[in-house]
Amino acid sequence: MFNLLNMDLYRVKRSKSVYVCLCIFFAITVLVYWMLWLLATPGGQEKAVSIGLILAEERESAADVLSGVDSLVMFRQICQDGGMYKVVFGIWVMLFVCSDFQGGFIKNIMALHQKRQNYIGSKIITVGIVNFCFLVLNLIFTLMMNRLFGNMVPYAGWKDLLFYLSWDWLLTTAFGALIILVCILTRSVAAGAAVSVLLGSGMIVMMLYGTLNVFHMGGWMKYTIYLTGSMGPGRYTSMKDLYVYVVGAGFLVLYTVAAGIALKRQDI
Amino acid sequence: MSIEGADTLAIETKALTKRYKDKAAVKHLELKVRKGEIYGFIGRNGAGKSTTLKMISGLAAFTEGEIRLFERPVGDPAVRRRLGVLIESAGLYPNMTAKQNVVMKARCMGLVDESSADEVLKLTGLADAGRKKVKHFSMGMKQRLGVALALLGNPDLLLLDEPINGLDPEGIREFRQLLLKLHEEGKTIVVSSHILGELSKIATSYGIIKDGELIEQITREELEERCQDYFQIEVHDIQRALVLIQETFPTVRAEVFDACSIRLFGIRDGAVINQMLIENQVQVSASGMHRMDLEEYFLERMEGRR
Repeated sequence: MFNLLNMDLYRVKRSKSVYVCLCIFFAITVLVYWMLWLLATPGGQEKAVSIGLILAEERESAADVLSGVDSLVMFRQICQDGGMYKVVFGIWVMLFVCSDFQGGFIKNIMALHQKRQNYIGSKIITVGIVNFCFLVLNLIFTLMMNRLFGNMVPYAGWKDLLFYLSWDWLLTTAFGALIILVCILTRSVAAGAAVSVLLGSGMIVMMLYGTLNVFHMGGWMKYTIYLTGSMGPGRYTSMKDLYVYVVGAGFLVLYTVAAGIALKRQDI
Repeated sequence: MSIEGADTLAIETKALTKRYKDKAAVKHLELKVRKGEIYGFIGRNGAGKSTTLKMISGLAAFTEGEIRLFERPVGDPAVRRRLGVLIESAGLYPNMTAKQNVVMKARCMGLVDESSADEVLKLTGLADAGRKKVKHFSMGMKQRLGVALALLGNPDLLLLDEPINGLDPEGIREFRQLLLKLHEEGKTIVVSSHILGELSKIATSYGIIKDGELIEQITREELEERCQDYFQIEVHDIQRALVLIQETFPTVRAEVFDACSIRLFGIRDGAVINQMLIENQVQVSASGMHRMDLEEYFLERMEGRR
């Protein structure tokens, strides 16, 4: 598996898609900070009024948009909680896995590595490493933007940041494992992209959650990847908060095993 | 560890079967490829060639039977490293260069010395491909890169499925020379191809597969023996000509080839046939002695005439 991991990391380093994804995240962060600067700072509001973005009498209410927001909430609101991160990350995972099948390089891999679970293991580890890099770089960039825009929001404690990053990493890696499973089953770019958008953005989960809640049956859905990601705790207060790790690890193991079984049963 | 001699079987399958639901794509295949051979694996489209090669290379699971490579089970990781494959199209990353694709495979194999990547690129004439991405390669260049990937790690056994597809005549010639060179180095090569004329120039033995069953395995020498000379005549009235030939020359084997051609086997002098037919007012439009080649032999086997 080490050889496969070595090969996958070589490809990641040379793949444009990783850098495109990072640029998307950074661009969204800059855009959000710029919009908040226009709405919530005196200098920005003057500009916003002059270009007609807000009315002069809306200045006070617009400034309230940042009340109770710290750097962690900003980070979560920009990409994480709404599912933007999962959509972009899911599409990257889809491209990464499907290109093995589309180009046919998988034949070279499988002719050498008869233990197909090694292929899945390598993909999961690579996805985990890329996910870690994305999250950390995204957080650092968010903090840098906060500093650049004049410390618009207070900084969250490093323990809270670490707690959030760790469980969010586990959860989004589990989401990556789900996309790997879909790609292994369908070998289709279209299917992988559709699942990334529909599940990553929470479209399906929220519809289902709303429908089931009508019958008071939607409680369990809080433990889906999407809702755990958006409703999970920002800081550790009690043992109950650790459920996020259980959800993340559970789905990660489930989808990894399922992908391994699916690949083992298929001919290349 | 066994010592491999000239009689060692590079590939041996025992009752190899592959079923897709109720349909058997390969049935009880008993393939035997000796070490150092160039084995031409021939059959019609859908006969089971690619499925067989995929099972040997581990890309497809077999339903029943056994595969042994160099007298060891196919799943043995040590034996898998002695195998180079090019199945169907060359498996490549289109957004990478030739060198990057080869380095990817080298890393996949755990090769630490990346100079072997340059060696196989040079061997397949792609050393000058430079920074050009594979998606901009011609079909022939992609095939050559596929062969380069198969050659990486200096494998003892090469499985090449339709390797000359898309190659221009010069490319085919270069490829033939490359295979002959590899053969001289002692490598065992299994080539499936529809271009039988080309295959007959290099193969040292053949396997013919029909509807998933291996109907024949023969060496080049045996094939030459079986490819008899025949006298072919083209006549206007084939029915009458056939009756006359069978009456006049009962020892001659006559086969109707098409609507106006008859092939006569076991005959040395065709002039007497011509003369007899003309005397009996059967118009002969063409006639001549021919040597049966691999293509004709294959077609005969496919049509069950042998």
